[in-house]
Amino acid sequence: MASTNGETDQVLVEERSCGRIFILNRPKQLNALSAVMVSRLLELFLSCAEDSSVKFIIVKGKGRAFCAGGDVAAVVYDINRGNWKSGAEYFRKEFTLNYVIATYIKPQVSILNGIVMGGGAGVSVHGRFRIATEKSLFAMPETALGLFPDIGASYFLSRLPGFFGEYVGLTGARLDGAEMLACGLATHFVQSESLPLLEEALVKAATSDPMVISSVIEGFSNAPNLKKNSAYHRLDVINKCFSRRTVEDIIQALERVSADKKDDWISSTIQSLKKASPMSLKISLRSIREGRLQGIGKCLVREFRMVCHVMLGEVSKDFVEGCRAILVDKDRNPKWAPSKLESISDKMVDRYFSKVDDADWEDLKLPVNFRLPAYAIAKL
Amino acid sequence: MEKANFRTQILTRHLQNHAAESSSGAAVSRAPCLSYAPPEASASFDVSSMRKLMDSHNLGERDWLFNLMVQSKLFNPKLRGGKVFVAPDYNQSMEQQREMTMKRIQYLLDRGVFEGWMTGKGSEAEMRKLALLEVITIFDHSLAIKIGVHFFLWGGAIQFFGTKRHHDKWLRATETYLMKGCFAMTELGHGSNVRGIETITTYDPRTEEFIINTPCESAQKYWIGGAANHATHTVVFSQLNIEDKNEGVHAFITQIRDADGNICPNIRITDCGHKIGLNGVDNGRIWFDNVRIPRENILNSVADVSSDGKYLSAIKDADQRFGAFMAPLTSGRVTIAVSAVYMAKMSLAIAIRYSLTRRAFSITPNGAEVLLLDYPSHQRRLLPLLAKTYAMSFAGNYLKLLYVRRTPQLIKTLHVVSSGLKAALTWHNMRTLQECREACGGQGLKTENRIGQLKAEYDVQSTFEGDNNVLMQQVSKALLAEYIATKRKNKPFKELGLEHMNKPSPTIPSQLSSSTVHSSQFQNDIFCLRERDLLNRFAAEVSKYLAQGESKESAFNASYQLAEDLGRAFTDLAILQTFVEAENSVTDASLKNVLSLVRSMYVLVTLDEDPAFLRYGYLTTGNAAIVRKEVANLCSEIRPHALALVDSFGIPDAFLSPIAFDWVAANAWSASQD
Repeated sequence: MASTNGETDQVLVEERSCGRIFILNRPKQLNALSAVMVSRLLELFLSCAEDSSVKFIIVKGKGRAFCAGGDVAAVVYDINRGNWKSGAEYFRKEFTLNYVIATYIKPQVSILNGIVMGGGAGVSVHGRFRIATEKSLFAMPETALGLFPDIGASYFLSRLPGFFGEYVGLTGARLDGAEMLACGLATHFVQSESLPLLEEALVKAATSDPMVISSVIEGFSNAPNLKKNSAYHRLDVINKCFSRRTVEDIIQALERVSADKKDDWISSTIQSLKKASPMSLKISLRSIREGRLQGIGKCLVREFRMVCHVMLGEVSKDFVEGCRAILVDKDRNPKWAPSKLESISDKMVDRYFSKVDDADWEDLKLPVNFRLPAYAIAKL
Repeated sequence: MEKANFRTQILTRHLQNHAAESSSGAAVSRAPCLSYAPPEASASFDVSSMRKLMDSHNLGERDWLFNLMVQSKLFNPKLRGGKVFVAPDYNQSMEQQREMTMKRIQYLLDRGVFEGWMTGKGSEAEMRKLALLEVITIFDHSLAIKIGVHFFLWGGAIQFFGTKRHHDKWLRATETYLMKGCFAMTELGHGSNVRGIETITTYDPRTEEFIINTPCESAQKYWIGGAANHATHTVVFSQLNIEDKNEGVHAFITQIRDADGNICPNIRITDCGHKIGLNGVDNGRIWFDNVRIPRENILNSVADVSSDGKYLSAIKDADQRFGAFMAPLTSGRVTIAVSAVYMAKMSLAIAIRYSLTRRAFSITPNGAEVLLLDYPSHQRRLLPLLAKTYAMSFAGNYLKLLYVRRTPQLIKTLHVVSSGLKAALTWHNMRTLQECREACGGQGLKTENRIGQLKAEYDVQSTFEGDNNVLMQQVSKALLAEYIATKRKNKPFKELGLEHMNKPSPTIPSQLSSSTVHSSQFQNDIFCLRERDLLNRFAAEVSKYLAQGESKESAFNASYQLAEDLGRAFTDLAILQTFVEAENSVTDASLKNVLSLVRSMYVLVTLDEDPAFLRYGYLTTGNAAIVRKEVANLCSEIRPHALALVDSFGIPDAFLSPIAFDWVAANAWSASQD
């Protein structure tokens, strides 16, 4: 996908006294993260870490999206040309960026005033402050694309209350700003009309003290109401069903609940699971379950192994197929293979978590100077 | 004097720094005296492959259960230093801990953790059950014991001692906790010696009922887990007297509480009271006052009583009958041995992580303080225990397979191996816990850091399901019996791992070299030599006493010193062989390399620590000195792998403790204000 604007202005930078504002600037692509943007962001975050005049960072998007995800179309293009390694380099850099953000010592305020999906979550949720608005729309739609929630999602999804993370990660459910705040993906909720004033106030506060920044944001925050049919009201059912050990068990548990009483929300939940790539569901669930027991670094290293296997396509080529059906041909009718959960063995799943069998291939190596104390790492 | 000067210099420097900070006021940076630096990443091998080798089975199930616990408030999550830790609140009263234990069981039940624990068939279901119990024990021993009593003791008795009528009635009900079971074997007057228990059961053919009675205070059932508060049913072990003839120990199902929790008529129950650990388990004492139960309630897999009161058994010999009856109870020893290894893993993971981030003393006047694990003496304290824990972990895996795949031919081996390993592994755990507690210094004393509390929680393991010393004597006794029987038949040894005695005695070089001591051939040889020689000596000593007219029993008792040495020799060798087997199953070179270092450490530190090698001359004093030096060398060779070796234990961060991670943040003033 060609970019419509020059390579340098895909990320705009505003210097506001001791604050830096990074603006994701590919509005026509809903600010999907191109390789150029990932490199540029990485560079910006690293240089601001060194620059003692910078106290805090704001990240936002131009137009109606914060960021609709990674640039998977480009990756699929690479895979189709038989060049999975170039796709892998994209993810290597993106995950490194996620790690730098997750372990960043200066406060990052992400303004999620619009669509936040996949890779967009990766450059915001790992940061200290995430501001949702009435326009926010969050989703991790990877299982419908033949991928899995990556960018460190196995770390943050697994830390949502109960088994809500499994629900969000497996079904690709969409959350609004109120739901993001309720489950902890967002730290604050601010009406979009107040955003310019909030920005000014942050610049004026000119501090790196998270307590102060938090109270500045609180001055503009309000408590939104969850909509009546919000999935978050169904946490009981979610905990009961999505805590089951396997994807099959989860679907069975949902079907048992829906057999007792007809329920649109459950039917559509089952529907989205049945439409998703079976292989994606299997590896996503295992990834979230392992992620719950690991730190962010280990999560990203594991996800990098997984994403390489996804691109290698030795067990399943669902990623290419999913992108074809959703992004290229747009027939929305992917032909998954394997087509059924039951035909996927543990061994096939294991494969995604193993080291890639290629002498030239390397595990993700995390930047050493960012091996910071745990309190700087766990922000969620 | 020089030392005193050095110390003064350091103190002065600290004081000066402090003064400088307070005088310069606001300009002072917030950098504290000491900040936490995470341990360096050092994985020279793939940690997840090593974990697979160590945990060996049902990894997905294990992680699932860890997930279930981490995500529930019932498991008492606490945020410390930016990380969440789960551990029971041991500051709760005994009553509160017991209540929490039951609530946790209910939660796990609702989540489907126990599905198939009684009704599942085959070795796969058994391995799954064992894996899940191991995960539970990593969270809390009380929870594991409470569940273990219900499923493994009560449920196991129904399964193994009962027949179809009992299975149909109880297995499903047990799995879904429709009732709560306990296991009334131990009495005030009799523990390990089950055959001596004094509870008496008689039969009344007119009503077709058994009558269970506690004839005296020493016959009261004691330590019965679950009895004090919750259990509704029990399996009672009792002497069975039929037509004035004692038929030995039998087991009967008896209801002790109704569905509302009221104690049944003619049953008296009282609490064993507060204990040094395991206060989440309601141990109770039970008296039976001529309690009548229907005839069907005898667990009749081995023997039965007809409706008109005739004793029926296919096994005529009472000794054999008792043996056949008790054989299935090895499950307790298996789960105890394996859980002991997990506790050693937990304490080592905590102590080694701490020793890789905590510094103490400088070795040069202005130098940085030294990491604890960079002191050779600290390495010597922890790394040999780490090696032994690896070895015993493989032994535990072997024991589980032996248990799950047991056949009638393997019952004797299973009995001997499980006895020896239960004793060796639980003793090793207690020693490791104490060393790790001390290695963590003052931090080791905090309950939140787990290790100190684990000492109290796991001390019981050397006593229950067979006192360790008694079990070790049973190992020696069994070896002696095998020895005598084989010699009498003049046939080769073919059981209990004694086959090496058919070959000529191995010779140990008079001057050991570093390469020799690292070879698995030498390592196996010297362990075999010790076992062979001790068995010969033991047999000779016993027969000497017999020749002097002593009874078999007193000859055996008098030879207790050799019996002890022999028991240890047997288990050490068994453990080594499981290590070698595990090593052989690995193909990855980086894993193989580190495992061979760990194996050598296991053997050499055993040679260094067991005086039998010098006492009986398997090692010359010169060779003993070489071994000792090699232990120190191995410490520094294993040191770079220490973190990766404990990371391979498969115990999630949340189940370790704050000092295993950022202990500065965990102890910051701001953290104490939350």
